[in-house]
Amino acid sequence: MKTLAQAAIEAALKTGAAFADIRIENTVTTIIEIDDGVTKRSMAAQLKGAGIRAFFDGAWAFGQTTDLTPSAMRSTAASVAKMAIATHGRVAEKFSIDGPAFEDNVRLKVKRPLQDVGAAEKVALVKMIDEQARGYDKRIANARTTYGDLWTELYVANSLGTSVYIENSLPRIVSMVTAKDGANRQRAFKSAGARGGFDEMQTEHAQTIGEESSKLAVELLSSVAAKGGVYDVIMDPVFNGVMVHEAFGHACEADNWPAHTTVLEDKVEKVVGPEHLNLSDDPTLEGMRGSFPYDWEGTKTRKRHLVRRGVLTDLLHGLESSSRLNMEPNGAARAQSFMSEPIPRMSNTFMEPGDWRVDELISDTRQGILLCDFNYGYTEPSKGQFMFQASYGYMIEGGEVGQIVRDVSVAGQILDVLPKIDAVANDFRLEAGSCGKNAQLVPDMSGGPHARVRSVPVGGM
Amino acid sequence: MTKQLTDLAEKTVKVAERLGAEQAEVYIGSTRSFSIDVENNAIKSAAERRDAGCGIRCVFGKKIGFAYVTTLNGDDIENALRRSISLAKASVADPDFVSLPGPESRYPVVKDLFDKGVEGLTADEAADLIAGCLDAAKEPLHGRKYAIQADLSTSSGSRAIANSLGVSQSAESTSITMYSEVTIKEQADQTSSYEYLVSRALREINPEWIGRTASENALRNLGAKTIEGGDMSVIMTPLAVSMVVGSGFADAVNAEEVQQGRSYISDAIGSEVASDELHIVDDGLLKGGVGSRAFDAEGALSQRTQVLKRGVLRSLLHSSYTANKDRVPNTGNASRPSYAGIPMIATTNFVIEPGRGMLEDLVSEVKKGVLCMNTFDRPNMTTGDLSAMVSEGFYIEDGELRQGVKSTLIGINMRDLLKRVIRVGADTRATGRMVTPSIVIDSAKITSG
Repeated sequence: MKTLAQAAIEAALKTGAAFADIRIENTVTTIIEIDDGVTKRSMAAQLKGAGIRAFFDGAWAFGQTTDLTPSAMRSTAASVAKMAIATHGRVAEKFSIDGPAFEDNVRLKVKRPLQDVGAAEKVALVKMIDEQARGYDKRIANARTTYGDLWTELYVANSLGTSVYIENSLPRIVSMVTAKDGANRQRAFKSAGARGGFDEMQTEHAQTIGEESSKLAVELLSSVAAKGGVYDVIMDPVFNGVMVHEAFGHACEADNWPAHTTVLEDKVEKVVGPEHLNLSDDPTLEGMRGSFPYDWEGTKTRKRHLVRRGVLTDLLHGLESSSRLNMEPNGAARAQSFMSEPIPRMSNTFMEPGDWRVDELISDTRQGILLCDFNYGYTEPSKGQFMFQASYGYMIEGGEVGQIVRDVSVAGQILDVLPKIDAVANDFRLEAGSCGKNAQLVPDMSGGPHARVRSVPVGGM
Repeated sequence: MTKQLTDLAEKTVKVAERLGAEQAEVYIGSTRSFSIDVENNAIKSAAERRDAGCGIRCVFGKKIGFAYVTTLNGDDIENALRRSISLAKASVADPDFVSLPGPESRYPVVKDLFDKGVEGLTADEAADLIAGCLDAAKEPLHGRKYAIQADLSTSSGSRAIANSLGVSQSAESTSITMYSEVTIKEQADQTSSYEYLVSRALREINPEWIGRTASENALRNLGAKTIEGGDMSVIMTPLAVSMVVGSGFADAVNAEEVQQGRSYISDAIGSEVASDELHIVDDGLLKGGVGSRAFDAEGALSQRTQVLKRGVLRSLLHSSYTANKDRVPNTGNASRPSYAGIPMIATTNFVIEPGRGMLEDLVSEVKKGVLCMNTFDRPNMTTGDLSAMVSEGFYIEDGELRQGVKSTLIGINMRDLLKRVIRVGADTRATGRMVTPSIVIDSAKITSG
């Protein structure tokens, strides 16, 4: 791969590019879905190719090829470099790309490599979870269990001298069920995912995921729709993670600074939340779905302290934003595959624990709502607005947890919500997920402790 | 080009059969796409992608496996074929699977799906087009602090499909999308808006309109406030309708979701599920339509399917699998994003038939309500509960638009929403997912704060 990459980089520089980089990838994925005892989807994929970028005086160009030969490397790189040079006549801001060079070869050691496990064993796991979910209760009307895995070999090189090989291995299992009682139907889903081998699917959490989702769906049969209004909200670790991710993490992606598309633009080194608030993004955590030792530009990763004691201190950088903002690169550039350009993204994003006990936090809340898990969420950093939806929750009356409610949506403004967080508990949990931006989906995790936000608008029927 | 792809697809089907597959289907896609991006008011990057690959389904009895690879290299295709076979063999048989679809004697001709203007657009011409969009966006923003982002992307390509029953079809198509997002910063306020057009043909793209409209919308959004909540009318413009109906209702009439009991619409064919103002057609044959095609992703005939007539549910959207299972005709709604996916049921062009009146007419008839210009939310597909943030919208009082709204949510169950459509406008536009005018919902729960 090194020789191919060098051929591409040399051709780009020879054509006149000031900077060039390349990602050569070989990824194998498997998806197996069983619905009510029957295979509904059984899919294998191989993604094999190279993505090449060239830069000249403020202009970028990108191209990709699946022909992994030295001649195809040279011709694709030359044509990408020409495109950057042609585009540069129209750019407004000139800048250069700089950063440290890394050389490394990081093999991922796992107990049971995904590619050594046959289709039959993967199918058996899905079948077991499917049966577990349906066997939990007579009222489970439909179960859908999906196993997905991805094994990647990625080589990144650039004209600064970076030459990095990394591997990735991500298994995940998701159980989605529908419970039915007369005309009342409720859905629920639970998932387990990690960075590691097939052995990660043998943990107790992964092995009981069917039961977990069925238990929730059955409980939701007695739920009511929440009444809309402004509430004091206690977020559970999963919902808190989504809040941190959507309401704040995206706005910290540093490509927003040169583009002037985040409401946080003038807030670096300024107070954005209370003293007891610490938000982090950490791709170096062992075994987590959002972890990677080097990013897709070949920069070594480190923990990012986005908010430290209420102050916005760190951003999520790719080489372009760190060069333009004159900040230290921290390895946040990710690409879905070789077919896309790397852009600043989150990894494992969370609120650091505080000192409240969870039971204290609840009994201290006279009237409010406890929001748990999540269905989905999104944000518009340029408008400063976000929205996300909890899968379920419980009304809190007089400091006690009461009626279960479902699909509770919360809307708000990025700059308003953090100051409203007045209490942070001492527990902690991360949940596996995926995040989309610019039509690129990447695996991640988010979480935190339980925490309370005062007076936020909660949607109702 | 399409001939070569068809030959390769047919040849691969033969190899699959030789390796023991009882039925096989090979789908090949080859696309060239180009894009050019604007960041902070100036062009910044360009990209060109050539993507060609192959997706293979193999059937053993009632067991099916699928595999794809991102190249058209012979060894890679054979590897994918072997993976597809081993997955099929390891599968749990699906008793409801009958067969892949067979060939048709005649396929419809759908016009204007390929445009030479898009295929031949040079990088320089693309840059000129996007510069036109930028200039038009800047015009209304004079003297303000702003940041414009924009993107022009084109794609042209061929797809071919062949299977063991004798299906062997290919087609060429193009598409073009131009998008502009405008952010405006004031002392104590910051807002944004966007506009786009998507089409099969270059001549349908009006860069100046996209730029100007994005800026005008962003200007209107300045000073957005929260409002007093309560039950009130909601007008949804085509972009909002595209999410709420184009996803939230279209996915509910997806036959697979209904068969699995996951949709809030169940066993409702022939019953009145919506207001008699609503007529919806899924039109796979629409001339120049972004979702149009002569044959679907399994090679079955494309058609025009009446989904709702006077609020009565007439048909679900089917693929060969769900149609065989329900013993009804296949509506040709199998769809895949590219060679890299199994056929799934999706709309083609989901069309709400226009009523009368432009947006200002609809607004003038509302005493108290919210104009929802855009939202990104969809309902819980099982219960139908929808809680949608008004991503961009305005408060309406006595038939007139008042201030923009923020942190505002619309709450309503889809079954009620469909029944409470009291008016359908005539301001039809194509959004990519849908062809639709604005609609008026009599009453929904608004929460704001």
